[in-house]
Amino acid sequence: MHAAGLAAPAGTPRLPSKRRVPVSQPGMADPHQFFDDTSSAPTRGYGGQPSPGGLGYPSPSSSHEAPFLADPMSNMAMAYGSSLAAHGKELVDKNIDRFIPVTKLKYYFAVDTVYVGKKLGLLVFPYLHQDWEVQYQQDTPVAPRFDINAPDLYIPAMAFITYILVAGLALGTQDRFSPDLLGLQASSALAWLTLEVVAILLSLYLVTVNTDLTTIDLVAFLGYKYVGMIGGVLVGLLFGKIGYYLVLGWCCVSIFVFMIRTLRLKILAQAAAEGVPVRGARNQLRMYLTMAVAAAQPLLMYWLTFHLVR
Amino acid sequence: MAFTLYSLLQAALLCVNAIAVLHEERFLKNIGWGTDQGIGGFGEEPGIKSQLMNLVRSVRTVMRVPLIIVNSITIVLLLLFG
Repeated sequence: MHAAGLAAPAGTPRLPSKRRVPVSQPGMADPHQFFDDTSSAPTRGYGGQPSPGGLGYPSPSSSHEAPFLADPMSNMAMAYGSSLAAHGKELVDKNIDRFIPVTKLKYYFAVDTVYVGKKLGLLVFPYLHQDWEVQYQQDTPVAPRFDINAPDLYIPAMAFITYILVAGLALGTQDRFSPDLLGLQASSALAWLTLEVVAILLSLYLVTVNTDLTTIDLVAFLGYKYVGMIGGVLVGLLFGKIGYYLVLGWCCVSIFVFMIRTLRLKILAQAAAEGVPVRGARNQLRMYLTMAVAAAQPLLMYWLTFHLVR
Repeated sequence: MAFTLYSLLQAALLCVNAIAVLHEERFLKNIGWGTDQGIGGFGEEPGIKSQLMNLVRSVRTVMRVPLIIVNSITIVLLLLFG
């Protein structure tokens, strides 16, 4: 079921178009369903309960409520209240999709343990991985659960939160901790992330790159550096500055290689697919952009962690 | 390391203000960044300079009114709360 089994050997030339592999996964009933739907079993249990008052109270107390709930006025009031609540919930559900693309976000969280383990391994050791293209299934990219190259938001989100906690831990061991410092670290890291995303989107617009790199994809890729940062700070806490510099240096180089190999496929789509060295002003500009984005990652990794390890 | 989201917002507001202040006739035309000087052929892919000029013109057109509102709010808040 792993994507690497379907990859062509490294020497063969590849078509510039996206590879549409008609993958028929045995476990997937519906290609658009990312999670196993277990909601039917419990809801049947809850919905099946008769509602002499709709409250589901255990039977001993029902004798108290029988005269109360037999009153038609309160029955009607309860029915009206529940219908109002349902209507409100419907309204919220309908409108929230306008501001936060919930269905699109679900794709990025469709991960499982195997994927997370493999992706973390790829982040610290990307040198042996051969095939970096994302598989497609009927024109939509395959969920991260089935393809290790797909970006996800689970690892960046968890890594960000862990980074905040580890920063608090590091500050605490140096007696510099106070609760508002934690909030300051969080908003500082978030501000740097926002700045990076805006700068990269601006430069992508200026260089007129026709790419399918969405904003959420970009946030996911830029969030992967927190994994290396956490590793560096933890080792720095245990083994001092030498350990911190060693691990951070290793993670910096890995993230650099990872970003270059991933962004090359997204930004330099045609040139990379054919395997020719990049020539021409346009391609050169795109190459510079990829290198700049990848080079900014180690710099930020160092900038956001050096004050935590003394 | 006090780089907070709030200072990012302030910096963004100042940058957009700076773009909005560039006068079309007195300044942009003199350095060759006027809006009528940049239109290339349709077959060509626009270079960076024409993209930048487009961006400056769009920002000035779109953000004129919202900038008035946001600037007024910011001035009032800064006067009140420092």
